[in-house]
Amino acid sequence: MGAIPRLSCTSKLKTRAGRSCFRRNFTESQMKKVTNHSKHPKKEGGATDKKRPRRLEKIATGIEGFDDITGGGLPLRRTTLFMGGPGCGKTVFALQILVSSAAHHGVPGIFVAFEEDAHLVADNAETFGWDVEKLERKKQLFFVDACMRSDVVKAGAFDLTGLLAALEAKASEIGAKIIVFDAIDVLLSLLDDPAAEARELYRLHEWLKRFELTGIITTKIEDGKPGTAQRYGFMPFMADCAVLLTQRVADRAAVRTARIIKYRGSPHVLNEVPFMIGPAGLEVGSTNGVHPEPQPFKDRVSTGIRSLDTMLRGGLYRGTNALLTGSSGTGKTMLAGAFIEAACRRGERALFISFDENSRDIVRDLASVSIDLAPALESGLLRMVAVRTESASSEEHFMRIKRLIAEQKPRCVAIDPLSALARVGGGLAARAVAERLIYRCRNAGITVLFTSLLEGIDPQLETTTLHVSTIADSWIQLSYALLDGERNRALSIIKSRGSKHSNQLRELIFSDAGITLAEPYTGGGQVFMGALRVEKENGQRTETSRKRREIDGKRREVERMMKERDHQIDAAQRDLRDRCEELDVLTRAEQTSAAESTQRQDGVVRKRDGAAVQKQARSKSNGKPVSAGAKKRAASR
Amino acid sequence: MTSPASNQGKHPNGAYVFRLYLASGAPNSVRALANLYAICRKHFPDSHRIELIDVLKEPLRALAEAVLVTPTLVKISPEPELQIIGNLSDEEEVLRSLGLPQKDSA
Repeated sequence: MGAIPRLSCTSKLKTRAGRSCFRRNFTESQMKKVTNHSKHPKKEGGATDKKRPRRLEKIATGIEGFDDITGGGLPLRRTTLFMGGPGCGKTVFALQILVSSAAHHGVPGIFVAFEEDAHLVADNAETFGWDVEKLERKKQLFFVDACMRSDVVKAGAFDLTGLLAALEAKASEIGAKIIVFDAIDVLLSLLDDPAAEARELYRLHEWLKRFELTGIITTKIEDGKPGTAQRYGFMPFMADCAVLLTQRVADRAAVRTARIIKYRGSPHVLNEVPFMIGPAGLEVGSTNGVHPEPQPFKDRVSTGIRSLDTMLRGGLYRGTNALLTGSSGTGKTMLAGAFIEAACRRGERALFISFDENSRDIVRDLASVSIDLAPALESGLLRMVAVRTESASSEEHFMRIKRLIAEQKPRCVAIDPLSALARVGGGLAARAVAERLIYRCRNAGITVLFTSLLEGIDPQLETTTLHVSTIADSWIQLSYALLDGERNRALSIIKSRGSKHSNQLRELIFSDAGITLAEPYTGGGQVFMGALRVEKENGQRTETSRKRREIDGKRREVERMMKERDHQIDAAQRDLRDRCEELDVLTRAEQTSAAESTQRQDGVVRKRDGAAVQKQARSKSNGKPVSAGAKKRAASR
Repeated sequence: MTSPASNQGKHPNGAYVFRLYLASGAPNSVRALANLYAICRKHFPDSHRIELIDVLKEPLRALAEAVLVTPTLVKISPEPELQIIGNLSDEEEVLRSLGLPQKDSA
């Protein structure tokens, strides 16, 4: 910075010397930071080279979320206008950008306060924890008290020539690159001449351009009503970027919003985005941050209930979220507690955010189902935060939860119930917040279980107050089953993205032993629970044993019959055999007697004509006399 | 840069001492200078002193002395100090703020 000539006593500053030193003094880190995606196209030498679109150079604002909606920050070396009614945060916006540039990128800046005492502005900045004093000492920041004293008399037209000359000298002295004109309208209104006011604004604008300063101008408009801005209606046309800030009350909750009306040469978010002035400065709630999409996890996270994990085929995927719906008393908090306890058991950091219920009460209640969060709480592994819903708008709650997550760095978060967000500020804002919260956790790889109260008791009416069920990865529904004078808790899984899951309605049982899901008992096409289930189970048991007895009886009878039959068969066979033997004996006896009678006859014949027969017999048996063998043969025949 | 000062004595409170911050060459500043000379000549021709400060030449001085716009006229004496901004074409307003009778020129 030694190169800056001390030009305070010469008016030549505004010419070449000034311009070049402004350019040169842009620190390299800042240039890198703001121009990392704005490389100048290479010289168009080759005909094949297509001229790439040149990206606008930007300056990061350091305001969370704002760089997202502006696509990288404010236009570098150009003019940005912040407009808004009282209390919209114009000054804080400008101041934070200035302080952040000075503190984080070493880019000096000047703050010209037209409305507030510059010291007060600096003091206010200190309340955000910004060390303005140090920056002032280091000549990184300079406050110009441009607050017109009340006793100043105006007698005729004036212009900003002198002021700009003074600022020019100051800027080159400290090497300022950013200059804020806070509430320029206060000074301009003194002119009391629209034409003169416009002229001075253009003078300012040209001055900024000439010295290649990044200008931030804030101006009041009354409540954003059309017409009141007429006086400075040309301002947005003049500026390269214009942001409209509003503050309004929706359902008792004040909501601040920012909307980029225009941004020359840069795409940007057109919608109104909510923002909040938190303890550390502004935070803009934007959903469309260009965050790298996280790699989805493959591992599963236990819900803390083994049977529920089984129903989900192993638990929830890490980094996803589960919505737990149910009317009051269905046991949402218990399940959330089980989930958190399981996380702590695995040694993972966890965060339990409860709305409208004290942390200690929850710990006590969970102890009734053997969920002990106390050790994890003591060790700091778990942090429980009870939030009063009435205390803030949903936007503020979101910011707070975000901060808590940043502080605790949990891997598992339970929010009970998320629907409480909608209590102040209306459902629409709450839904946006819920969505952002879900996306944020998903990007951070945090597994979230959030409960949502269902109004009414009709389990068929499965709409959540926030309508977040569409963005939830898993949806577990808790309900009551009213059957025969009993109210039983029931659990079913409505959806579980990317995973198979049970379709059964299971009875949820809270007992001293913990939380369990009863094995599904179905009978006659119905799922039974409670006493009915016991009764049905008993009934079926009697029926079964009766049938078994009957079958046993029948079996015995058959067996007996078969035995009998076997006996009969045996007897019949024995009888048959006996008879066969008898027959055999008889047959043999009969043959013997027949043979004997033949012999007798032979004897008689021989006696009558013995010679003839002997001759015959001899020739038949080759001369051999008829032996006993022949006799035997004849007998057996 | 000091304008020709005249002798003091006519005004009961002593001489009027003015300091005019201007941007040399800017129309409003040129007009303010002319108007200031005219008023002084007319109302206290013998008891005024005018100090001119060119903000373009001494830019940091203006900042240090809480001068924002040009032209700005500061009445240093008589007490109390008074700041008048503008090209002083509203003579009536200037005179009123200086505590002088307004229609005496007639």
